[in-house]
Amino acid sequence: MTYALRKLGMLLLTLWAAVTLNFFLPRLMPGSPADAAIAKLSQNGPVSAATRAAIEAQLGVPGGNLLEQYVHYLQQVVTLDFGVSFTFYPEKVSDLVLTALPYTVVLVGIVTVLAFVIGTLIGVLAAWKRGTWMDTLPTLGGSFLSAFPYFWIALLLLFFAGYVGHLFPTSGASSPTAVPEFSLSFIGDLIYHAALPALTILITSLGGWILGMRNAMINTLGDDYVTFAEANGLRGRTVALKYAARNAILPNLTGFGLALGGVVGGSILVEQVYGYPGIGYLLYNAVVNQDYPLMQALFLMITVSVLIANFLVDILYGVLDPRTRR
Amino acid sequence: MTTNTTPGQVDEQPILRVENLTVEYRSEGFEPVAAVKNVSFTLRRGEFIGLVGESGSGKSTLGFALTRLAKPPATIVDGKILFHGSDIRTLDAEELRKQRRGGFAMVLQSGMNALNPVRTIRKHFHDIFRAHGHVEPGSFNARASELVRKVELPETVLDRFPGELSGGMRQRVSIALALSLEPELLVFDEPTTALDVLVQHAVMDTIRQLQASEGFTAILISHDLGIVLESTERVLVMHDGVVVEDGPSHQILDDPQAEYTRMLLSHYADPRAEEIHIPGFSTRGRSADAARAERATTSPRSDARAARRADASIVVEGASKVYAPPRRGEKPVVAVDNVSFTLAPGESLALVGQSGSGKSTIARLVTGAEKPSSGLVRFGDSNLASLRRRELRDLRKNVQMVFQDPYAALNPLHTVEYTLMRPILNFTERRGEAARERMLELLETVGLTPAETFAAKLPHQLSGGQRQRVVIARALASDPQVLVADEPVSMLDVSLRAGVLGLLEDLREQWGVSMLYITHDLLSARLVTDRMMVLNAGRVVESGPTADVLRNPSDEYTIRLLDAVPNPARAREGR
Repeated sequence: MTYALRKLGMLLLTLWAAVTLNFFLPRLMPGSPADAAIAKLSQNGPVSAATRAAIEAQLGVPGGNLLEQYVHYLQQVVTLDFGVSFTFYPEKVSDLVLTALPYTVVLVGIVTVLAFVIGTLIGVLAAWKRGTWMDTLPTLGGSFLSAFPYFWIALLLLFFAGYVGHLFPTSGASSPTAVPEFSLSFIGDLIYHAALPALTILITSLGGWILGMRNAMINTLGDDYVTFAEANGLRGRTVALKYAARNAILPNLTGFGLALGGVVGGSILVEQVYGYPGIGYLLYNAVVNQDYPLMQALFLMITVSVLIANFLVDILYGVLDPRTRR
Repeated sequence: MTTNTTPGQVDEQPILRVENLTVEYRSEGFEPVAAVKNVSFTLRRGEFIGLVGESGSGKSTLGFALTRLAKPPATIVDGKILFHGSDIRTLDAEELRKQRRGGFAMVLQSGMNALNPVRTIRKHFHDIFRAHGHVEPGSFNARASELVRKVELPETVLDRFPGELSGGMRQRVSIALALSLEPELLVFDEPTTALDVLVQHAVMDTIRQLQASEGFTAILISHDLGIVLESTERVLVMHDGVVVEDGPSHQILDDPQAEYTRMLLSHYADPRAEEIHIPGFSTRGRSADAARAERATTSPRSDARAARRADASIVVEGASKVYAPPRRGEKPVVAVDNVSFTLAPGESLALVGQSGSGKSTIARLVTGAEKPSSGLVRFGDSNLASLRRRELRDLRKNVQMVFQDPYAALNPLHTVEYTLMRPILNFTERRGEAARERMLELLETVGLTPAETFAAKLPHQLSGGQRQRVVIARALASDPQVLVADEPVSMLDVSLRAGVLGLLEDLREQWGVSMLYITHDLLSARLVTDRMMVLNAGRVVESGPTADVLRNPSDEYTIRLLDAVPNPARAREGR
C-alpha cells in the first residue's frame, strides 16, 4: 500500500512539473499569438490601433507579473479552462477536447490493450513450441507485419475493404444519420466505423508484442526455476504460464506503459487517414491552423496521459512483481 | 517415504543401472562433442554416492541425463538408463512427468535461482501437490509446514517470496520441494557451491541427516572432493567424460587407483596440519617462527626487497566504513568496524571471513575505491582520503587489484596484448618496442609461454586459470608495490589453483611485492600468507601468524570456520 501511495505522490509531483513546464516553455519563446496574428495582418497593409486592440483582447495578452500569471494559469488548468479555439471559433477548447477524447481513448486504448494481450499470448505459445511451425509462423509473420509503415496498411485497408469491397465505412466515427444514444444499434454503428482504424493499429503493433514476449520467454525458459519446475514434474501448462510466462511478461510491461501513454497522442496518422474525429485528428488540425490554445491543451493532455499510463503500469508492476514492492 | 526399506539400510537390488551411456552436445554446424563417454555404473537402493570432477568433466551433464532433464544441445546418443529395470529414455512426456513423483528428483546447483521469484514458497509446494495429487487438498498446508521443518526452516518462510530469503534458506527450500516428491533417487548437483562457507557446512549436514532419516538413494555431484569424501560412502571420479575411478570413499582416500584421483587428492590438506604438502609448494607449514627465522637468513630475496621503496607500507588505523541504511527506517550497515593493521613491504597478509564479514570493503578502502567513514588509511606517507589526481594515479600504479572472477575481469573484445599494454603505457615510461618487450616478459613471468602466442589471444580462447594469470600479469604491469588479491582462486578448478597460488607466492618472494590476500579458503591462506586476520561482522576477531592462528585458534568464530572445512578423513570413519 505504501508502494502505491509513493507512486501516487510521484505522479502528482511529475504532473505539477509538466503543467509548470507547459506554462513556462511558451513564455520563453519570443512574441505572442497576438503578435503573430498582427504581423500576418500587417502584410496586407497597416493595422489600425482598434484592430490591434481587438486581436489582443481576443487572443489575450498576459497581464500582471509572472507569478500572478502562473497562479491564474493553474486556476484555469484546474477548471479545464483553456480558452477558445481559433480553428473552430467560438467553440471552447475544453469542449472540443472532451468530445474527441472518448473516441481516441476507446478506439486506440482498447486496441492497444488487445494487441498487447493477443501478442503476448501468441508470444508465449511461440516460445513454448519453440522451433515448430507455431513458433516460426508468428515470428516471421510478426516481423513482416511490423515492418510496414502503418499509414500504408491503413491506405491498403481503406482501398480494399472500404472502396473496393464496401465492407466497412471509409470515414467518420458514426453514420451521419445515427442518433447518439446508449443503444445497441448506435454502439454497433460505432464499432462498425472503428473497425478499419482498429484493425490497422492491431496489425502493425501485434508483431512487436509477439517478438518481445517470445524472446523474453525464451530467456526465462532457460532459467533455473523453470528447469526445477520441470524436474518437479509440474504440468506443462503450469510451467509455461505460471513460471516462464509470468516472469517473462515483466520486462514487457514497461513497453506496454509507453504504448498506453502514446494512445492519446500517437494516433494522428490513422485518425487522419480514416477521418476519425479523435484527438489525433484534432491535433493535426490545430497544428495546421496554428491554433495555439487548442495545441497547448492537447499537448498538456498528451503529457498527462503518458504520466497516468506510467502510473498505472507502475501499480501493475507492483502487483505482479513482489521485488518492486519494497 | 514410499520405499519399504529401513532408513539407512543398503539393499542389494539395483535401483539404477546405467549402461554405456554417451551424451553429446550437438549444435548445427559444429562437430558433436561428447561430454559423457560410455559411462556404466550401478546404484543400489539406499546408497549415497558422490560424483566428482572438475569443470568440463561431464558430471553435471551426467546428472541431468540421469533425471532426463538434459535438453538440446545435450543429446543422449547411446546407452541405457534403467530405473527399476526400465529404460527412462523410452518414457513419453506424461509418463516421465508422473515418474517424477516417487521416482527421481533433482536439486540444482544454483538453488538461489531455482525458485520462481514471483511465487511464494507456499505456492511452490501447492504447485507440486496439485501436479501429482499425492497430497489431499485439505492437508496441503500441513504437509508444506512439515517439509520446511524437515529442512530446519521456520514455517514462516512459506509466505515469503524467494527474494526475501537468504541463499542458504533458498537452497533448503529447494531440498524441501524435492523431498515433497517423495523421491527414491535424489540427485544433488553442486548443492552448496554458491553458498557461504559456514552455510555450506550447515546445509551439507542437513542433507546427510535427511539421507539417513528418509532413506532415499542419493547422488552428490560436486567439484569438491573434500565434501564428497566426507559425505558419501562411494565415489565416482569423472575426468573428461569418463569415469576414471569408482570405489568406496575410504579406498579413494587411502588407496586411489587412478592418476587423476591422486592428482585431485594431492591438492587437499588440512589447513591445521603441522606440515602441508601441495604440489608446487615447498612446505610452508612448519611453525611460523621457524619460517620467519629462515627467511631472515636467506639473502637473495632480501636483495630484491631492498630495491623496493621502503615507504610502501599500507597502514590502516581504526578504519570504519558505515553505509547508509538500505531502506528508510533501518539501521545503517557497519561494513568495517574499527580495523587497524599494517602491511609492510614484501609481507603477505590474509583477510579471512565469510561473505559480509567486511573483507572486500577493506580491499576497497585500501585501493582508494572507497573512503573510510572514520579512521585513516595510508599508503606510505599519504592519507588516501585526501589524495589529489596525481597522487591517486601514483596510488593506482602502486596498489593493484587481482579480481575474483577471471571470466568477468577481462574485456572480451580485447586481446591479451591490448589488455596488458594499457597499464604499461599508462603507468610506466616504457614506449614502443620496450613496452612490448615488457608485455611479453610479464606473460612469461605468469607462465604463459610462448608469450607471443598468448599475446594475440582473446579471453574466450583461454582457460579460467590462464585468464587469471592474465589478470595477475595486468596487475603487475604497473610495477606495483602492493597486490590486493580478492579470492583469486575461488573460481578455479583445484588443479589450476595451486599454479596460480604458486605464482602469487613467487612474485612476492622474487619481487618483494606485498600482498593482501582476501579469502574464505583457509588452506590457500595457509599456503601464501605470513599473517592472518579473521574478520567477523566487520570486526577483527583474531590475528597473528597464519600457522599459529589456524593451529591454535582462540576465537570461537575462527574455530567454526575451521570446522566448516570439508574433512575427507571422515571417509575413514565409515558412517
